[in-house]
Amino acid sequence: MKSTILYEVSKFLIPIIQLFGIYIIFHGHLSPGGGFAGGTIIGAGLILYRIVFGEEKAQEKLKYTKLLNLMCGSLITYGILKGYSFIVGGSNVHLFDIPLGKPGDILSGGLILPLNICVGIVVSVVIYFLFNLFYEGEI
Amino acid sequence: MMEGILNNYYETGAIILFGVGFVTLLMHNNLIKKIIGMNIMDTAVFLFFISKGYIEDRQAPIVRGVHKGVEGYINPIPTALMLTGIVVAVSMTAFALGLTVKIYEEYGTVDLGQIMKMRGDENDDS
Amino acid sequence: MIARNFPLLTIMILLICSFIMPIVKEAKTFKKLSIISMGASVVLNISTLIYIKYDGSFFYRVGHWDAPWGIELHIGMIEIIIGILFTLVASLVIWYSFYSVDTEIPKEKIRFYYLLINILIASLLGIVYSNDLFNSFVFIEVSTLASCGIVVIKDKKENIKATLKYLILSILGSGLFLMGIAFIYSITGNLNMTFIHNELAEIYIKYQNTILISLALFTVGLGVKSAMFPLHIWLPDAHSNAPSTSSALLSALVLKAFVFMLIKILLRVFSLEIVIQYRVLDLLLILGSIGMIFGSVLAIMQKNIKRVIAYSSVAQMGYIFYGIGLGNSLGLTISIFHIISHALTKSTLFLAVGSMMEQTGKNLSDLKGIGKEMPVTLGIFTIGAFSMVGIPILPGFISKWYFALATIDASKLIYLGVILLSSLLNAVYYFPIIINGYFGEENLKGKVFMSKNKPVKELLPVLILTVGIILVGIFNKGIINAINKSLI
Repeated sequence: MKSTILYEVSKFLIPIIQLFGIYIIFHGHLSPGGGFAGGTIIGAGLILYRIVFGEEKAQEKLKYTKLLNLMCGSLITYGILKGYSFIVGGSNVHLFDIPLGKPGDILSGGLILPLNICVGIVVSVVIYFLFNLFYEGEI
Repeated sequence: MMEGILNNYYETGAIILFGVGFVTLLMHNNLIKKIIGMNIMDTAVFLFFISKGYIEDRQAPIVRGVHKGVEGYINPIPTALMLTGIVVAVSMTAFALGLTVKIYEEYGTVDLGQIMKMRGDENDDS
Repeated sequence: MIARNFPLLTIMILLICSFIMPIVKEAKTFKKLSIISMGASVVLNISTLIYIKYDGSFFYRVGHWDAPWGIELHIGMIEIIIGILFTLVASLVIWYSFYSVDTEIPKEKIRFYYLLINILIASLLGIVYSNDLFNSFVFIEVSTLASCGIVVIKDKKENIKATLKYLILSILGSGLFLMGIAFIYSITGNLNMTFIHNELAEIYIKYQNTILISLALFTVGLGVKSAMFPLHIWLPDAHSNAPSTSSALLSALVLKAFVFMLIKILLRVFSLEIVIQYRVLDLLLILGSIGMIFGSVLAIMQKNIKRVIAYSSVAQMGYIFYGIGLGNSLGLTISIFHIISHALTKSTLFLAVGSMMEQTGKNLSDLKGIGKEMPVTLGIFTIGAFSMVGIPILPGFISKWYFALATIDASKLIYLGVILLSSLLNAVYYFPIIINGYFGEENLKGKVFMSKNKPVKELLPVLILTVGIILVGIFNKGIINAINKSLI
């Protein structure tokens, strides 16, 4: 799409959209939101980039293999972290207890924050892939 | 009987929606309509579940300020379950739509009746 | 004590390993990863079996929350036997697939194929182990997506059509299943099977209609997914068009997990005493017997060998539903035994047929005289087919024998005729393949002995499966006793 207005506005808007998504991911344990909602917003930002700047530029910036590796990496991290907490909780051993956190403090969320970040990455990449599946051209 | 239906209007609506979705999924030959029917069906189940968790005059289960005790909030479990349900429904829909795109590329139509007529030689049974 | 963690650990290992596969570059690495993770889960499951043998069944709390709030796994003798069966069959199928995957699946998709198999087996194990209805629902959905994935991965016209048919009917089934959960949740307020069971024992007289509705929803929903007779229409297309390793997995494992879920719901959630008061079991009995006969009749009419075996699956699933429908503990026990015997037999048949089809064609007429070219493969096929028909010692005979005993036990003597007729019909379509294979005169000209046979190294996994069939047949007493003891 070759429209100057669109081009300039989205140049300004995409960073803000992504910042907002990151904000929602980081505050998932304090306020409504979390990995899924925030990831969708970031994914929407990526989709906007793909529509406005075209296939070539998007493929250059958001390489398929890179995104896939990022997604799989966060899935593995999620699996290991949550699996650790499952196994520890299930067998009642207390090797290294993850802090429970206290309300109102971002960095004391225990496992929720890293898990939310993982979910956010996975969801944003998946949303972007899904869009590309139906849009013309390749991922 | 009638009174029960009117009092539980959420559930009644959910069941009606479920029927609408079910019939759409089964009766229509158009694949897109089938997928829409599936979505209606899933939404009906979500409505049913969430209406089970909702208790009148109570708040959403978010602690603001003082914790009001168990009596102050609605049942959060159905809502949490349906969040998972929505994610599952989204992925199902995406997969079905992706297959529909592929079908359209291969057969040139999204009408299931026409696609079934175009079957290969070896699959000529019912 | 540490063995209590193993069932959850198997699921975690399979899931985590599956997502390492897209990252690694070498084709050899992810193939190794796939077989190693599956082999590790077999070992873990076997050690859990030993633990259960001495310490009895147990409930495992997942995470930090106790039962009614958190998710629970219930692992007993039956669950762990089925878990071993699933992982063992899957690892043998994966082993076999190393030699055949390149010919059947596009090269860039092979890594995703192994990813999907790992996810599929993990979710099936989840269905088998879980003691929580909603958790089972999530696992059911994951397994549906993964099993559709391993059908469509061949990327041919027919595959996509078959997958879409499969997907739409599966979605219907999961919608009905979720609605069933909604009904049962609305009267009991629990999702944990044990707690629902305790709750239902007190209140079921007040809510008879609701219980009937949710029973029907569960039965039909899971019936669609496990190919109960009139709802089987997706099965022949999906199973015959998929790559042969996928067909083996789908037919041997995926159907079984859903039918096992149905057994669990009837037994653990509602309990047999409540279920018997409704007509659901009669429905299962009638549909099962119709499936036993019509599945075989439809199989006789097929020309494509894979479709013959796919329709035979419908008939064999009919046996399992029939056993559930008898409504006594012997019938249920034999249904579970039949799950084991059919899983081993059907995967053997699909793999043997797959390796025959690579060399010849997919029609029955192409297979005439195959016995001279591929004697070992046809020999394996023969053992599998004999088990299906019910030749003594083989597990197919044993399950048919006990089905007959259970029928007499339930004093429904008329149905003995159904078992007999279905066995005869089985013979009608399996024996011609074998006889034409060994003695098909007209095609024998110009064929060289053993010319097309695969090297023994590539047939080894199928041979192991065949040995497994015979072993299950020989040690049937022990397996049936173990199942019967831990039922209920």
